[in-house]
Amino acid sequence: MLLLDILISGLVLGGMYALISMGLTLQYGVARIMNLAYGEFLVGAAFLAFWLYSSIGISPLAGLILAVPLAFLANWAIYRWLLTPLVRRAKSRGQLEVDSILATFGLLFIVQGIALVLFGGQYYSYGYLSVPVSILGTTLALNRVIAFIFAGLIGVGLYLALTRTRTGTAIRAIAVNPTAASLVAIDVRTASAFAFALGGAMVAAGGVLVSMFLTFNASMGVVFTMKALIVVIVGGVGNVLGALVVGLALGVIETGVTRLVDPGLTLAVTYALFMIVLLVRPQGLFGSAVR
Amino acid sequence: MSLARAPLIALAVLAALLLAGLPLVASGYVLALAIGMLNFTILATAWALFSGPTHYISLASAAFFGIGAYTAAMMAESVPWPLVLVAATLAGFAVALVVGLSTLRLSGVYFVIFTFGLTELIRQLVTWYEVNVAGTVGRYLFLGMPQSTIYWQLLALAVAVLVIGWLIGRSRLGLAARVIGADEVVARHSGIDTTRTKIVLFAISSAIMALAGAIMAPRWTYIDPAIAFNSMISFQVVIMALLGGAGALFGPLLGAVPLVLLFEVLQANFPNAYSILLGAVFILIVYGLPRGVIGLIEDWRPAASRSVAMLPSRAPRDPNVLTISDLKKSFGGLSAVDSVSFDVRPGEIIGLVGPNGSGKTSVLNLISGALKPDAGQIFYLGRPINGANPETIARLGVARTFQLVRVLPSMSVVENVIPGFAFRARHVTGAAAHEEALALLARVGLEHRAAVPASELTYIDQKRLELARALALEPKLLLLDEWLAGLNPTELEEGIALIQSLRFDGLSIIMVEHVMDAIHALCDRCVVMNAGRVIAHGTPRLALAEPEVVRAYLGEDDA
Repeated sequence: MLLLDILISGLVLGGMYALISMGLTLQYGVARIMNLAYGEFLVGAAFLAFWLYSSIGISPLAGLILAVPLAFLANWAIYRWLLTPLVRRAKSRGQLEVDSILATFGLLFIVQGIALVLFGGQYYSYGYLSVPVSILGTTLALNRVIAFIFAGLIGVGLYLALTRTRTGTAIRAIAVNPTAASLVAIDVRTASAFAFALGGAMVAAGGVLVSMFLTFNASMGVVFTMKALIVVIVGGVGNVLGALVVGLALGVIETGVTRLVDPGLTLAVTYALFMIVLLVRPQGLFGSAVR
Repeated sequence: MSLARAPLIALAVLAALLLAGLPLVASGYVLALAIGMLNFTILATAWALFSGPTHYISLASAAFFGIGAYTAAMMAESVPWPLVLVAATLAGFAVALVVGLSTLRLSGVYFVIFTFGLTELIRQLVTWYEVNVAGTVGRYLFLGMPQSTIYWQLLALAVAVLVIGWLIGRSRLGLAARVIGADEVVARHSGIDTTRTKIVLFAISSAIMALAGAIMAPRWTYIDPAIAFNSMISFQVVIMALLGGAGALFGPLLGAVPLVLLFEVLQANFPNAYSILLGAVFILIVYGLPRGVIGLIEDWRPAASRSVAMLPSRAPRDPNVLTISDLKKSFGGLSAVDSVSFDVRPGEIIGLVGPNGSGKTSVLNLISGALKPDAGQIFYLGRPINGANPETIARLGVARTFQLVRVLPSMSVVENVIPGFAFRARHVTGAAAHEEALALLARVGLEHRAAVPASELTYIDQKRLELARALALEPKLLLLDEWLAGLNPTELEEGIALIQSLRFDGLSIIMVEHVMDAIHALCDRCVVMNAGRVIAHGTPRLALAEPEVVRAYLGEDDA
């Protein structure tokens, strides 16, 4: 029974990781920006949901309607004003990587600093729909189940949008090769900005959903960025399906470690997983080999 | 050169002596500030030792600083202080080796990601250990070490770090790191063991950071993992190195001193907005001063290197320079190289021809070690080299050029050639390498452009530079990948004459080429490939006239 328990709770947590990682794979795989401030937007959205719920009484699910477009705009603006100059200045992909890492590293401290000024360093949580429900004999809080369902809907929506629409096809083309994409009349710069903004919207959705059942504080963003980066690399850069599968798996593994070993060792296990994949299959589990 | 340096060295010694006297006159506050400056000078200089030349960004300074500080906190009560410092240094070195071995074989991004979370990882592991094994949450450190003692230790370390940095900058290790930063593929084909270079530098840099952490530890009387592993330190170190300029030895020093003052002012006046302001300063530096203060002052200078003992080279037994038998390589379902066999005799020029996509460049990549064969044998001077690393093969004397020219754009023309001399088996360094490099440049007609950055050369001159870089390895076998493509008729004639002259020096050459005039003029034999297989073999006149060859090039109708 314990194993089933771990599996179900793990999948619910993994659904969040998958959602967050799909957004990062859009930012890194398509827009080629290694965004170290990524998790800060998750924390920002979590605080927004907390504030909406506890001060005006708006449910977090309704809060998604506000948080997601807001994050889309904010990330679009960041790409447009902060990162486009770096894209223009970069002579190679490697240089863009270095510059974007440094710029977003600075951004991380700005966003985190703002959150610290507004909310301080303590932990926050709020009780929304924390009634127990039973699934296959496992007892879960209703808010977790709902978060999982929403994550699933958003993830499936993204997958369909990427595979069934013109814009989606353009985005996937850029992920494979930006130069070749521009040769077939895809506007790489606009589509990259769109992908970056979409990634930011995804992580904000993740933040709102996560805030429903996890306690959070202003300096937690780094850990989420870290886990999302690892999922993206292990799943294969730019591979949405890979991010989904590895995200779910990470949730199950972490839950297993928490229950069976020690909650303090989850990050260590994530790292161990990362190291093993790097040693065995550096292009990622679902990535294709580079010639 | 050393004469011009003498006053500088005297000045540096004088400065160090003056600084050593500071605790005798300064107030406690000034001394604390000076300790902060020294600490960050050490950390930022150590950071730039590795990340500066290689461009591999490490975000884990706090992890290594913390390892040192925490090692000191755990051992200081029971072990004499000098031993504590040794243990902390070794701990930092060991962790860096593990991190380096697992990530530095791969591209830089994995390394960045790994270091990004490393501080948090180690903090969690230490916390877990303290709670579950040691049964505590932190450590008290009652050493009663006065500030002045800490200051002197840091000053000594700072001087040591600058000397180490200076020595590395002049050594082959430093040169290797700079070539890696400019183009890692070129580095390997110049005979540089890139993985080892990166790991060694990273471990040295990390060990220094750990030592600084240990020296600083007695400043806190109580240390818990959250204090020791403060990720803000990683951030500050990177800002300081970038502000000053990570490419130069004294760059980080120029960044650390003003920024420690600035941070002090910010922290005193805007304690709440500290992190925001720090982030803003950081972004301003990334955008406004991509090469740091020192970049404004000067370009970094060519490095002279010290001479190192010569390695003996082994005598050949096989009469052939190269013997390839039954070589196979496929990518997924595509068989790029299928059962290819041929040999190259001393002084011979072999033309490797065939339509685009027939596997010619793949054969060169297999010989030079850029690809590993699935099956088959490659013997160079009688010894098997199939599956060996590019750097090993380059050192044995197999040099190559690239189809798409790869020069080291940020380095000067002559610096592009020096790595070949410095990393070949019979290596030459220092002024001798410089002179020989100039001679080689003269041979390819680039002597008048020796000092300009390679990025400013025209396409043709970049090709010449690539050839000079390959020749610097003193190769016995030269692999030219469409080296003559894109030349105008005059340049083509010069190019053919140049290759001809290389043959008279005793080089063997394999040239992938589409320029038929050159093939007829130069090649003793031709190997014609199509769809991964050898379809004809012989003198150019005979091989190129075979019906199957004509069919492969022109299609069925013209055969």
